[in-house]
Order: sequence, then C-alpha cells, then structure tokens
Amino acid sequence: MFKSWWKRALTIRDAPSYAEGLVFGAACIGFVLFVWWLLTVGEGDARLVDAYTLPSPGETFASFPELWKRGLSLSIVISLGRVIGGFLLAMAIGVPLGVVAGSYPRVNAFFKPLVIFGRSIPIAALIPLTMVWFGLGEFNKVMFIFLATLAFVIFDTVNTVNAVPDRFIDTAYTLGAHGSRKKGARIAAMAGVIYGLLIMIGWHVLSESNGNGLFAETPGPAESTWAAQLFTTAGFIRFIVGFVMGFLLWFPIAGHQVLRKVIFPLALPDIVNSLRLIFGLAFGYIMLAEVVNAKTGIGALIINSQRRGFNEHIYLCLFLITMVAWGIDRSIMLLQRQLFPHIKHGEN
Amino acid sequence: MAKIELTASEQPCELKEAAPPPAGQPLVVGFKSVTKTFDVGTERAFTAIKDVTFSVENIPNIGEFIGVLGPSGCGKSTVLRLIAGLAPQFPATSGSVMVHGEPVVEPGPDRGFVFQDYANFPHRTVLDNVAFGLECRQVPQKERHERAREWIAKVGLDPKKDALKYPHQLSGGMNQRVAIARTLIMHPRIILMDEPFGALDPTTRQRMQDLLVSLWRELEATVFFITHDVPEAVYLGDRVFIFSPSPGTIAHQLAVAPPDRPAREMQQEPAFLESVRHVRSLLDKLEAEKTKPTST
Repeated sequence: MFKSWWKRALTIRDAPSYAEGLVFGAACIGFVLFVWWLLTVGEGDARLVDAYTLPSPGETFASFPELWKRGLSLSIVISLGRVIGGFLLAMAIGVPLGVVAGSYPRVNAFFKPLVIFGRSIPIAALIPLTMVWFGLGEFNKVMFIFLATLAFVIFDTVNTVNAVPDRFIDTAYTLGAHGSRKKGARIAAMAGVIYGLLIMIGWHVLSESNGNGLFAETPGPAESTWAAQLFTTAGFIRFIVGFVMGFLLWFPIAGHQVLRKVIFPLALPDIVNSLRLIFGLAFGYIMLAEVVNAKTGIGALIINSQRRGFNEHIYLCLFLITMVAWGIDRSIMLLQRQLFPHIKHGEN
Repeated sequence: MAKIELTASEQPCELKEAAPPPAGQPLVVGFKSVTKTFDVGTERAFTAIKDVTFSVENIPNIGEFIGVLGPSGCGKSTVLRLIAGLAPQFPATSGSVMVHGEPVVEPGPDRGFVFQDYANFPHRTVLDNVAFGLECRQVPQKERHERAREWIAKVGLDPKKDALKYPHQLSGGMNQRVAIARTLIMHPRIILMDEPFGALDPTTRQRMQDLLVSLWRELEATVFFITHDVPEAVYLGDRVFIFSPSPGTIAHQLAVAPPDRPAREMQQEPAFLESVRHVRSLLDKLEAEKTKPTST
C-alpha cells in the first residue's frame, strides 16, 4: 500500500487526487505554524526569538480584536479603493490603446519608447515624484497606481493582441468584415459619455480643496450640495475631456468590424488574465505608497503598528493582505470562467 | 453489351494546352505573368511564384472545379491568397490578377476562403460562426440565424444540437463543416480552399469530398482546391493544375473526369487509378528536376 503510493509519488507528473493535494497544502501550513511555535515557545529568555521580534501564533491571532478596533476594515476598504481607482484609470486608457497599437504597428512604434520607459522605471522612485506632482492626498495615491501600472497594461495588451492568429483576421476579411464608421461613432460616443462621467465624478471624489471631496479634512459649506459642486463649469470641462478621450480611444476599435468582432473579443480573455496579474502587482505597490506617506490604509496601519510596537499587528496585517489578494484573484478567475465559456482556464 | 460507351471517367486524363483566353468574354479568374517576390531588394528576397499565367473561363451556370497540386512551398497558397486579396501575398510584384474582369483590390465575400485549420472563431457558437458574414452585412439577427440554421443542416450538422456548441466542443470534421457552411452561406462566386481536408482521417475525408461535390453543384461556383492528395485532386477536379517547385509556375494543366459518383466508389476504378498514376508520375518528374544538381 505505502510502497505503491511511494512509487507514484516519485513518478514525474503523476497528479494526486484533489484531497491528497489538500493534505499536502495543509501539511505546509502546519509545518510553518510548527516552526513558528517552536521559535516562540516558552517565557522570557527560554524563547528562541523574543516576543518583540516575533510574537507567538497565539499572541498574534489573539490580537485580532484589538487590530479590528484600530479600524482594520476601513483600512482595507480604503487601500482597495485606491488600487481600484488607479487601476481602473490605467485599464480605461491602457486596454483600448493596447488593442489599437497591437492592430496598427505604426501606433505601436509611436508609443513604444514611452512603454519601455514606463516598464523600466523603478516604481519606488515614482513615489516622491507623485508627491510633488499630485500632493499628499488621495489623488496622489490613485495617480501613483495609475502611472505604475499603465505601461504594463499597454504592453501586455499589445502582446495578447499580437498573439491573435492571422488566419482569424484573414477569415473575417474574406467573409466581408469591413470598416463601419457610423456604428463605430455611436459606440465610441457611448464610451465617451462613460469616460466623461467617470472623470467628472472621480475628480470630484478625490479633490480635497474647498472642502469638496470625500476625503476633505474640513467640511465644505453646508449650503453647497454635492450635485451643485459637481455640475460647475470646471466639472463640465472635465466631462468634455473624458468624452473626447473615450471617443478617441474606442473609435478605432468600434469602427472596424475586424477589430470589434474578431481581434478584441479573441484577445479579451488573455487581456483579462494579464489584468488580473497586474492587479496583484498594483496591490503590492499601494502598500509601498501607504508606508511612505499616508494617514489611512493598510500600509499606514502597518507602519503605525511598527512605530507603536504592536508587531503582532504587522504579522496579522501581512496575513490578511495575502488573504484579500488571493480572494480577489480567485473571484476574478471565477468571473473569467463565467465570461469566457469557450476558454479552459489554468489553475495558476 | 455490344457497344462500350466511353464514359467520362473511363478516359485517362489528357493534357490540355493552356489555351489563350477567348476574346470578349470576361474570365472568372485571369492570371497574366504574375510574379510575387517577398522582401524585394534585400538579401532575403524570395520569389514564391514566377510568371504564372492561367485563365478560368466563365461557363454559364457551371462552375469549374480546379484541383491544385504541387510540391510543398511551391507557391500554391500564394496563388489562392492573391485571388482572395489577402496580405502579405497580395498585391503581386508584377503581372495582373483579374477576377470577373476586374483587378483584385481587397478581400471580399465574393471570394470565400476555407483554411486547413478551419479558423472557426472560438468565442462564437456554431450558429454565430456560420452567420458571421451575414452579420458583417448587417442582416437582421432573426433572418441571419434562420439562414445559418439552414446551412448548418446542409453541411450535415444537427441545427438543434450543434448550433449552440462552441468550436472546441466539435471534432475536426465537424469544425470543417462549420467553416464550409460559413463560407458558402455568402454564396461566393469563387471558393478558395487551402488543403481543407488535410487534417482529417481518410474516412471523414471521403465523406467531406462527397459533401463538397454536392454543395458545389448547387452553388455553381468556381472552386480552387489545394491538396497534397493526388486522388483527391483527380476525383474532385474538372481540371488539375500542377505546380513546379519554387519559384512556382504552372507546369501542367490537365483535364480530368468530373466526380459523378461517390468518392469511395469512383476512387476504386481502374480508369481513375490510371489517372492518378499519370499525375503522380508528372509530380515525381518535377520533384526529380528540383533535386537534380543545377549546372553552373
């Protein structure tokens, strides 16, 4: 019994059952916990590692209610909000730009220097710069995530679009696929309206001057309502800027049947997949930005814990961050399965 | 029977001279000394086809079926893609490519193309794959789905069970049926097929050959059919073009008996096998010339 199992275990690429895989995974967690416990067992000098450097598993998990009281849930929501905000913007610009650049090599050649620059720039060096450009508030965090991820989104999208086999494009042409400016303009106008509203509202939410915005330190004058502040001349100009941007980005895609019906939908599953991976990266970046400069968010929670000596909170935060990141990753994967029933998705 | 009637299939294939195109009548396809060289002026310059001239006449109500044979890499696909107007083979470096009396400008649904690997859109169901061309032409959804269902049935698939499947759920033969339906629903005047049955097993292949013959009769379209399978070309073709090795030219044009019986039956007959042997010997001779050391 054991002998045959051992033989299978030593067979290259012999896949274990789901339950057996789980057992191995649990064994790893158990091993880590055991080593952790071993290092922290006992009192005072009997411990291998002192309680300040590494609290015991029990001490760490017991401090959860205390961490919760320090505003854990709000911190997670704020950090996530920043990542999603910046990433949404990077996505909104990077994906259509990447699809167009992947389809028209001259556009790609034009943007290539910027993309290479953006991909090679040390992310940490962006933090002080974004503070100079965008201040110390929420706008800074969102723009930091946007700048840090945009080049990656464009680069990956161009690659996935290039990977769409020529024969699908040839087939589309021989079946009569052609440019359709009228329909393209209609769809692009819709995209423009969405972009305009997003920019107008997003700007308003993030702005902290005059007591506008969600994160303003001083409340605005009571008589000016949200809507009244939103629909100002400046707000209208922002809407127009967003509209033009959305229209220009989506018109080349919506305006040609080969792009709209073939290239974009064929590349989309892989685009979403690489977006999922880049989102994981962005989640790491926001910690960096929050540790350097923030009053709220998980990164701020961590740096404050360290300053005040609540080291068990740092370990707990790390644990929670990985859980949240993993949970998001899984949910996007589930969504992918629903959205693209024709694709078999890898488990990684 | 006293008098033996010489049926079409009993005469071995005959060499047909490349006749000059009859004046006045526009040709279905006309190639006049067409040459295609890639990367002209660089070290990598490569001539795919050289000085290809042929013409396919317009016979009212009947389309011609042309089998295209030749060694690998001799530019057979280049000829088809030039007719279709597909880059990078299109446009030709020199010479003129005319379809229905007009020079080819861009690809279009009047010249359908079927690839070896079907190229069915993986994100579309069978129904939406077949309806793709009509969708591009802005035919309303109800009408195009109706017509797509008709064509799904015509190519031997089940319009109820198969219509909503995705290509990855189908076998190779079924996928090729979808690709054929998707091309023929547009009623192309010219159908270009680049080794469409190359990836299929022999039994499926013969069944597909019969299907193709029956559909082609109905459509009255001109078919160009590239294959490496000599019996397939001889069985399906009215004419067989044999290409010489690279840079490709048309070395022989043969007239052969049309497929008037099912593939399994006809491909066993002595006259048919004799034709196949003849074509094979021509091909072997061309190959031998290629491998012969060239004198300097």
